[in-house]
Amino acid sequence: MTIPGILLALQMSAEHDENIARRLQRRDPEAMGDLYDRFGRMAYSVIVAIVRDTAVAEDLVQETFLRVWNRAHAFEAGRGALGPWLLAIARNRAIDHLRSLSARMDRNSYELGSSGTYLREHPSLFVDMEREVLNTDHARLIRKAISKLSANQQKAIELAYYEGLSQSEMAERMGEPLGTVKTWVRTALKLLREELGQEVAA
Amino acid sequence: MTCGELRRDYTSYALGIAEDPERAEIAEHLARKCPECVSGMASAMATVTAMSGAVPVAEPSPRLRRRVMATVEKAPRRSRAGVFVPWAITAAMSIALVAIGISGRRQIGDTAKLQQALSILNDPAARDVTFGETGKPPLPGTRGRIFVSPGNGVVFIGASLPRIDAGKTFELWVIPARGNPIPAGLFRSQPDATAVFVRPGPVESAAAVAVTVEPEGGSAQPTTTPFIVTRL
Repeated sequence: MTIPGILLALQMSAEHDENIARRLQRRDPEAMGDLYDRFGRMAYSVIVAIVRDTAVAEDLVQETFLRVWNRAHAFEAGRGALGPWLLAIARNRAIDHLRSLSARMDRNSYELGSSGTYLREHPSLFVDMEREVLNTDHARLIRKAISKLSANQQKAIELAYYEGLSQSEMAERMGEPLGTVKTWVRTALKLLREELGQEVAA
Repeated sequence: MTCGELRRDYTSYALGIAEDPERAEIAEHLARKCPECVSGMASAMATVTAMSGAVPVAEPSPRLRRRVMATVEKAPRRSRAGVFVPWAITAAMSIALVAIGISGRRQIGDTAKLQQALSILNDPAARDVTFGETGKPPLPGTRGRIFVSPGNGVVFIGASLPRIDAGKTFELWVIPARGNPIPAGLFRSQPDATAVFVRPGPVESAAAVAVTVEPEGGSAQPTTTPFIVTRL
């Protein structure tokens, strides 16, 4: 997670997104083009960083946009954050792909399957999300926060975000006890949330 | 587990890396729309979104935009079933052909529409239902047929449709077994009160199809009572 340049061109415009969302709900194919122009590069960047294969990434981008198209009816056009929703779907597609490759789909020790993904990308989670969450300042905050983490915590965050490894899998990969890895993950994610002002009030 | 105990794993859950028992517990709280967990998860999702925003930029190939557009502009490239068209569907298609042909304008658009319609009618998984022919029609004389292909879309063919004002439009709805009607496109009738409407694209879990009259531009949810409702 280095360059926030992806965000430089992205001037969040709530009205524009709302307009796109409403047109998607009306099945206007042109809205799909606008959606792609707005978020296509970000979605591709997220997916290719995870799957590291440009051809696969393009397939998954296509899947991501089709999923948004098919579920747009459930999205609250006036209040939902379209970009964050689309990026969550994009990352889930990419992680699911990695899991299918490594046959990790077969394990049931952690969240799997469409019902889990369904809950994690449910449009209700993106209602009234601050639009600033996708701006350059937040990207900078994230990078700063990650740089403050210990080497092990950084590694844990990378394995979590880019590979979607469960904590047991991380423990195996890193050759560390599960309890230790759990602490790294929880502490690191807590620090990130705090830096972003997203820490859940106690 | 209480929401207070689950709180520290919201972000792991949002990343898809939480493990049982927390994973199952959070899923259960979310499924029953526990306000504390939904709100905590929304905030965790904002953190994950910010992480996605910090990913290095990569430039997709220019053809990707066309590929994405193609998924909604056209029905699937060609029908796997080749030339197999059951007679009943052929009959319906001839109506469609006549209706599309007679209107005569926008030739290219109509050809694409016809191809989309064929891919829907030709789908072995397509279901179809007639309305208005038996017993008590929903409106005097209004009748027609609707085809729904889960993969390819919906074809609506109607005759003797009600007259609507200039500022109004017909809106087609796909009604899932559970949940709200899903907008499936806007259309108007021909001067002879017929309409052929094709809505390409996958159809998720349709239990019924309905048509309402809506203000021009359509509505996100029906604002009038449907004058056609057919169970599939």
